[in-house]
Amino acid sequence: MLKYFRVKQQPEKVVPDLGAISVSLLERDAVLPFTIRQLNNLPENVKQRLYRGLIPPALLTRFGIDPIQWTDAAKEPLVVLHTASNSEKVLITAQATSDPSTEFFALELSDNSLNGIELNLIVLNDPTAPRYSIDQTEAGEPTMFGTLKRNLKAEEQALQAGLAPGQVRAGLGGSRMVFEQIDTFLAMLGHRAYFLEPLTYASAWVFERRGFAYVRGHKLMDDIQREFQPGGALSQCLDDGSPFRKRDQAQTVRGRAWAIHDGILDVLDLRWDKIRMVKQIGRHAGVDTFPQAEY
Amino acid sequence: MTPTYRITRAAYLESLNDFREFIKGHCANAPGINVEILYDVQLAVDEACMNIISHGYRDLDPGSIILDLEFDPDKLTVCLTDFGHSFEPSNAPIADADAPIDELELGGFGLFFIQQSMDKMDYRVTEDGNTMILTKYLRKSVGG
Repeated sequence: MLKYFRVKQQPEKVVPDLGAISVSLLERDAVLPFTIRQLNNLPENVKQRLYRGLIPPALLTRFGIDPIQWTDAAKEPLVVLHTASNSEKVLITAQATSDPSTEFFALELSDNSLNGIELNLIVLNDPTAPRYSIDQTEAGEPTMFGTLKRNLKAEEQALQAGLAPGQVRAGLGGSRMVFEQIDTFLAMLGHRAYFLEPLTYASAWVFERRGFAYVRGHKLMDDIQREFQPGGALSQCLDDGSPFRKRDQAQTVRGRAWAIHDGILDVLDLRWDKIRMVKQIGRHAGVDTFPQAEY
Repeated sequence: MTPTYRITRAAYLESLNDFREFIKGHCANAPGINVEILYDVQLAVDEACMNIISHGYRDLDPGSIILDLEFDPDKLTVCLTDFGHSFEPSNAPIADADAPIDELELGGFGLFFIQQSMDKMDYRVTEDGNTMILTKYLRKSVGG
């Protein structure tokens, strides 16, 4: 599973509203990008037709979902498009069965203040894998995937099961396919790039492999790589003092991610915060801040 | 298809050597590129990256610099993309290299060196970053 999650306020627009999409607008310069808000102001069936391009058909057919109708063999709708007129966001979710706990796909895109595109959320979960409640405390309060509060017991179980911080279930695979789909969809809209803020070190590492570069935080990733080397400040903090700071964790992406999630960057007076990444449509940046990494 | 090579590094001083070595490595066996051209390109990239580091990512946790090298029979093109603050080269001060040494002002030599060492410089700001395109013509008669 990949996941991005940040609690954000809607940014104030610094560019004008581009108006409704019409045939005459479509006939104009095909280079001008459309916004999510413009799409959301279209009729429902038009929206579904367009947003269908955001989910890889092969991902849906893997679960027996018709990629056009978004239903299973019993005509049960299993893909939901969450949009509203004038909204600058679109959320698409897909679940394997009518049980919401079998959700395996979620993707949210939004316009940013410059009418660019933000990828707010991407989830690819294996719905058959065990679920770890790292997203809520034992009292049932939301943890915002461990960013506001932590469920240490669930997190330790997730770690031992091989998950990265922020994951409630093992990943589904197929992120490459999803990102190719996003590239194609945004190219159709006329965008040249999109942006995201990775929830964890492990997410950032995966996004590097999917072709993202850094708007902010590339040096931080290099610093992390350097300080996890033997003798480095972060390496020295892996003292077996907690399940999240085992000595061998420096060697893996997940190990580092859990230690960072546990606050190990404090020793460098740094925080995992404000990391921002960009994907140029059709281009792979080739960033590799942890060469020869083991996940 | 024109051969293109890419390297992406964080925008800080320690990355400059990686860019230099990358350029050197790819130019080593490229036809039409002699030591003088290699030196000019390395100098221009050094200065352009210094501008990105010092100004583009000023007060920001540095992001990436993407360097693309494109080899054509007649020219070598370097594209440097960053995601920091953009600038307008035509508005940037350029040092007066002819001024007496005691009247020289600090700064402004980066663009001067880039313009002196390359044949063409373009700069564009788009949704997918700020891109400086530096061109070195391998046959002077083609590019002027």
